[in-house]
Amino acid sequence: MTSVDLSNGPKSVPTPIIGTHAGLDSELEEKISVRNVNFYYGDNRALKSISVPLYSQRVTAFIGPSGCGKSTLLRILNRIYDLYPNQRAEGEVLLDGDNILDPAQDLNLLRARVGMVFQKPTPFPMSIYENIAFGIRLYDSLSKSELDGRVESALKRAALWTEVKDKLHANGLSLSGGQQQRLCIARTVAVQPEVILLDEPCSALDPISTAKIEELIEELKTDYAIAIVTHNMQQAARVSDYTAFMYLGELVEFDTTSKMFTSPVDTRTQDYITGRFG
Amino acid sequence: MPSRRMPVVDIALRDVPAVAATPPDRKRVLARLRLTNSSFRTLTLLASILVLVILGGVIIALIEGSLPALRQFGFGFLVSERWNPVTENFGALAPIYGTVVTSIIAMMIAVPFGLLIAVFLTELCPPWLRRPIGIAIELLAGIPSIIYGIWGLFVFAPFLQRTLQPALIDLFGPIPVLSTLFAGPPYGIGTLTAGLILAIMVLPFITSISRDVFEAVPPVLKEAAYGLGCTTWEVVRYVVIPFARVGVTGGVMLGLGRALGETMAVTFVIGNAHRISGSLLAPGTTISATIANEFTEALGDLYTSSLVALGLILFVITFFVLAIARYMLMRIERRIG
Amino acid sequence: MNLYARRRATSRVVMAMSIGATAIGLGWLVLVLGALLWNGFTSLSIAVFTEMTPPPGAAGGLLNPILGSLMMSAVAVAVGTPIGILAGTYMAEYGRYSPLSSVVRFINDILLSAPSIVVGLFIYEVVVRPMGHFSGLAGSIALAVLVIPVVVRTTEDMLLTVPKELREAATALGLPRSHVIANVSYRAARAGIITGILLAVARISGETAPLLFTALNNQFFSADMNAPLASLPVVIFQFAMSPYPEWQNLAWAGALIITFAVLALSISARALAATRNAQ
Repeated sequence: MTSVDLSNGPKSVPTPIIGTHAGLDSELEEKISVRNVNFYYGDNRALKSISVPLYSQRVTAFIGPSGCGKSTLLRILNRIYDLYPNQRAEGEVLLDGDNILDPAQDLNLLRARVGMVFQKPTPFPMSIYENIAFGIRLYDSLSKSELDGRVESALKRAALWTEVKDKLHANGLSLSGGQQQRLCIARTVAVQPEVILLDEPCSALDPISTAKIEELIEELKTDYAIAIVTHNMQQAARVSDYTAFMYLGELVEFDTTSKMFTSPVDTRTQDYITGRFG
Repeated sequence: MPSRRMPVVDIALRDVPAVAATPPDRKRVLARLRLTNSSFRTLTLLASILVLVILGGVIIALIEGSLPALRQFGFGFLVSERWNPVTENFGALAPIYGTVVTSIIAMMIAVPFGLLIAVFLTELCPPWLRRPIGIAIELLAGIPSIIYGIWGLFVFAPFLQRTLQPALIDLFGPIPVLSTLFAGPPYGIGTLTAGLILAIMVLPFITSISRDVFEAVPPVLKEAAYGLGCTTWEVVRYVVIPFARVGVTGGVMLGLGRALGETMAVTFVIGNAHRISGSLLAPGTTISATIANEFTEALGDLYTSSLVALGLILFVITFFVLAIARYMLMRIERRIG
Repeated sequence: MNLYARRRATSRVVMAMSIGATAIGLGWLVLVLGALLWNGFTSLSIAVFTEMTPPPGAAGGLLNPILGSLMMSAVAVAVGTPIGILAGTYMAEYGRYSPLSSVVRFINDILLSAPSIVVGLFIYEVVVRPMGHFSGLAGSIALAVLVIPVVVRTTEDMLLTVPKELREAATALGLPRSHVIANVSYRAARAGIITGILLAVARISGETAPLLFTALNNQFFSADMNAPLASLPVVIFQFAMSPYPEWQNLAWAGALIITFAVLALSISARALAATRNAQ
């Protein structure tokens, strides 16, 4: 899989999808489909009839000015908003065909299947090893050596193993910001999710750490459906296959990233991408 | 992979299966987790309900325990001064009077002192001295009341008997009303001594809450007032105190609640005399001191019940004082955010 | 200019008064502690820690009340701490947004400052009277009732300071709330919760009023929690109010021991809180 190279044009472009996203590419597996979702903070409607797909083995970027609802949309996909009262979602979000907004949905299972990495690195106040192991232990009873193997593979998957293999029992907080964020990715990967949600994962990081995380996203997408919220349009262009532009709680345009960044249809998308606002 | 990228991903990565070949059957695990979670939730809920049950239990136990006395004496219990264990004739007026008077003395001294110290700490104190004084005040608040009691009995009361009390008697002797208030002889122990000890005990509470509230005044407000040419006192008087009024009142009420209910420090020095004396220098009693002194020696149900009834009165009074205090502190907390 | 001079003078007078008030306040602390140290140390000896309380007019020590206080405090903490932590956990975690938490918070704050002698009466009515006799157990329960509000308050406060991002991150891994609390919230708030427990121990170690008619007193050593049990504060009260100099001296020695215990506890609590803030 290659990243989308803007100067040469897209290599395998699915049919452009705008607005209603009708006629999906038959080669792609639609892992999650958001259908007509509204979201409310109390009486305030923050998302307006959003419909958007997330494909397996693809990265979908959500861009838009702050307050446009892109993080809100991400927080629906693992129902993390359920922690707070007065927040509710309406509509359908299908994960492999099952509606996760169904009240009967087991939230722990859902969140084990749909992992999330947050804006600020959030290592737990425990050792690097424990940070990863305790999520695994919860679901699988493993021998010590099996557990060690799982921790190691998760750290390798997050490109952190060589840096921490000699200090696995140091506190997770002792790592640098970029390392902490990769630890959080490793922790998420260790639970073996199917979808990974990244909520501005690089906004607190320096450029070198950001490059490493972007590289990692490229690697991870071979196995997962990935959604990334970013305020950085260059980042969206670099890492994603599909881009959704959101504005004032509405989905304005959704298409392949190359199409979005070369010939967007909506004037608002054009204005945002060319830097006229946002 | 395009070659321009640095290979940051470990080589070993390729050998690692990303997803387990057979996804573990998570049904049973999930059921167990749900059970753990809901049991833990229930446990925490029960514990927090227990807090309410304790308060309810206190109220019910006190009412039930005081029923015999209240049935016997009725409303008269509140307004009668007699307290005669031999004839089993009891009234709560003297202890109520003592409780109120000692608390008034304590607050009259502790409130101005506490506010002045808080002004010193927030406006005048050099920064390096702030922490040590703050710690000293909190240590003062942490000293058990029995320590103040024993100090009051052996050190403070004899000292007052020799110095302050004779001086007060001489000073106010010729003045009509005050001569009754400070009528001799100087016993050392008595209502005034108890009030002074209480003042020392509640001072740290009032000081530390006032200081916290004063510190919460937004610096821009003070700077603006100084910018108008106000003196330090004017800034305190017209900016700090109006802003902090609700919080300080809450702190004062909290101190009052403590003074009303304080037992040991008072029991040592009040003299345990069941009468209402016009003189502050005479021995008296308070609700809590009466209970502490007499409860284990009380013979007969009516005597015991009368003491429990005293406890009920004390609890009702302090409950309202503390409720007002908490309400006011809650308001200021909300304003500070 | 005359007006300005008067304003400045007023300000100076008030500020001088505030300095004076602070000096008097601190002087008082010095006087109390000075008298305590002087009388306490002159009365302190090895016998205080090795001998039982004496009959009137004889020499002896405070061994049995010291042990009694330790036993009752230990039981009170063992009973009160888990209840307090659980209740605080409900208020900060499961019930964070529920109206019940606000009610419990309000009531708990009132219990926190309620007169301790009332707690003694309560335990007398619900434990001593049904059992028919005074006991160390009743004393422990009375102290536990005083421990609970302190621990509830600090646990709730400390759990509320745990960043919501941490809680969200743990939840996003698929952890049920109970595991989020046990593995993340408790760990992050550990130092603060321990501080609260230390403060609760400090509070009960000097409490006298609730023990007067629950544990009563006992002139001899007893490990039987079902029988009356001596405690340091009650013995101090009894001995200080007596006319015998030997007893009065022992009361000073006991007061010194309690003060040191309380100060040690509150200073370690502060040190612990300071390390937490430094992190």
